[in-house]
Amino acid sequence: MANEQEILRQMKVAIEGFDPDAAAAAAKEAVAAGIDPARAVEEGFSPAIRELGDKFDRMEVFLPELVMAAGAMKAGVNVFEEAMRKAGGSLANKGVVVLGTVEGDIHDIGKTIVGAMLSSAGYKVVDLGVEISVPRFLDAAEEARADIIAASALLSTTMLRQKDLVEFLTTRGKKEKYIVIVGGAPVTQEWADKIGADAYARDAQQAIKVLDGLMAAKRGTIH
Amino acid sequence: MDIIEVLKRAEMGPLVLAEEYMMKLYRQAKELVKDYGIKFDLDHLVNCDDRIADNLFLAGKELFLRMGIHSATSRRVIQFTSQEIEECLKSAPSEVIVGAGKEVKIVRHRQVEDPAFPTIFSGPYNVNTSEDTLIPMNITFAREKLIDVLFLPGYLNTMDGILVRPGSGLSARTAMIYGRYSRDAVSRAGRPDMPIAGFAHMALNEMACENEEWGLRKTDPHLAIFPDELQVDDVSLNMLSYYTAIGCPIYAVFVPLIGGYAGGPEGTAVVAVAERMAASMIGGEILHMGPNHVTFKSQTNHHSLWMASITNQAIARNTHLIPTTSMTIAGRPGSVQYPLEFAALVTTAVVSGSNITGPRPAQPLGFNHNSGLMGRLFAEIGRAATKLTREQANVLVKSLHEIYKDKLDYAVAPKGKSFNELYDMQTLKPTPEHQSHYDDAKEKLISLGLPLEA
Repeated sequence: MANEQEILRQMKVAIEGFDPDAAAAAAKEAVAAGIDPARAVEEGFSPAIRELGDKFDRMEVFLPELVMAAGAMKAGVNVFEEAMRKAGGSLANKGVVVLGTVEGDIHDIGKTIVGAMLSSAGYKVVDLGVEISVPRFLDAAEEARADIIAASALLSTTMLRQKDLVEFLTTRGKKEKYIVIVGGAPVTQEWADKIGADAYARDAQQAIKVLDGLMAAKRGTIH
Repeated sequence: MDIIEVLKRAEMGPLVLAEEYMMKLYRQAKELVKDYGIKFDLDHLVNCDDRIADNLFLAGKELFLRMGIHSATSRRVIQFTSQEIEECLKSAPSEVIVGAGKEVKIVRHRQVEDPAFPTIFSGPYNVNTSEDTLIPMNITFAREKLIDVLFLPGYLNTMDGILVRPGSGLSARTAMIYGRYSRDAVSRAGRPDMPIAGFAHMALNEMACENEEWGLRKTDPHLAIFPDELQVDDVSLNMLSYYTAIGCPIYAVFVPLIGGYAGGPEGTAVVAVAERMAASMIGGEILHMGPNHVTFKSQTNHHSLWMASITNQAIARNTHLIPTTSMTIAGRPGSVQYPLEFAALVTTAVVSGSNITGPRPAQPLGFNHNSGLMGRLFAEIGRAATKLTREQANVLVKSLHEIYKDKLDYAVAPKGKSFNELYDMQTLKPTPEHQSHYDDAKEKLISLGLPLEA
């Protein structure tokens, strides 16, 4: 059996190679070696994703690489989650995010980037895809026991659904349960404030920063 | 190709999920970039090498043949044979007539370094517009005689204080007002038959704003906007069906995204060429490209400039299609950076064989964030650029890029001001401050070698 450092290196290489099978195999080795799963993700997978994020910012890699890397990481994280479930626990994370593009909008690029980077930053991301109705956001958040609902809109016409989402959560008495963050090309801080969203982020880096702060505050209230 | 055939293939073609299609597109574009030796050149933001443009054309055509068009809604691929693509390129129009009466304009195919003026599409570009400002803002564009087509008169996202939900009954009423107010504006500007390129956002609403007397007309170019990359959807196909039925000029829009599924600037250039062919294949006549960027979220950065240049040259040299290029700007109206940025992209596009559409701020702030005076300068720059060679244009564009390149992030780009602050709302004349934006920008451009009339 490989030693700990070697396993973590294999996890990193699997992400760099966009290889879900290798990521899952390395994760299994980590489980067998008794490496703490949260630490394995943080020290094995996340650095590779973060490096890719930096390369993306420098335009050395592009969206497809982020998508493939996120897919590989998901395959590996699934192994850890399964192992934790069998042991009666769950994989620690910074928060659970339900993420989607709003109804009537099929744009997914920004949402995909944010999802990949939130995963790398230690969040568990449930990506619902595009054209997600307001009730579906809530259903998915309830099912996933989410902390955060993240809604993206790329058109002036569809950003109205973000307002609908906040209103829906409020009328259902669920607004305080979830952190609602909005984003997308036409979306601004002013719009987020106007509709009563908890946060706005113009890009993935800002989303991580804002959510880290909000989650720290949220978890700080749990005694 | 016959639109009915396109619609059938959108229902009958092979089933492919969007993510699978996109990943294949990326791999294919990457392979073709390598096979055809396409390489981004920071020293030549305006391409001066015909071989590269011609290679790009071949790469783009090959990509289109391999990938077809994906229908995002039916999840099927519309495929074409090589013969169909060749026939389409041969039979595509090289000019399209828009407008009526004294305002008939001919939008044409242009060559590289073409001395003929480009067609100028300019207007509010559908920035969020308040109901009380739509007419005055459009008047300031329409009265600029150098502007050929009034472009996207403004997006009314509220009506009587209520946010308008797309597809609702209120959206149809809003579309009717959009049509009425637009025609009213051009009439008040003394150009009642001026062509208006409108887009009321939903297929049904396109019909709602149609009226030969008070709204958008059959002689106006109608927009169909397609999802990236190389995709159509039910909304855009509905529009194409309708537009074909009424016989209006069709203005087809693709916005290839550098850094997205097409890859870097080289891959995106290959995809952009394929998208122009795709747009023509499905009935587009005026073929719009917006060279957008995933990081900058605007179109005047070094990658976008290069991509706009090389893609337009590929089309200009190897087809008789009618391209236009959009200008989405990080700086905002009410700043000198705004015109300096769009001057770079206008020069690039015009000298590379494109018509021009714009300008607009990439992130408008609030309502009514555009200006007819900037439309005038946009048109003047477009005309002046026809006097440049590619080499001269390259020097100018690189100089301009150097001025603004560190101020493209939305947070540091100048915020500018709304139309209501840039104009005297009684006289509809620019304020002295706004006039100074125009004067200062023009002076700077002349000093850098753009042959503008002082």
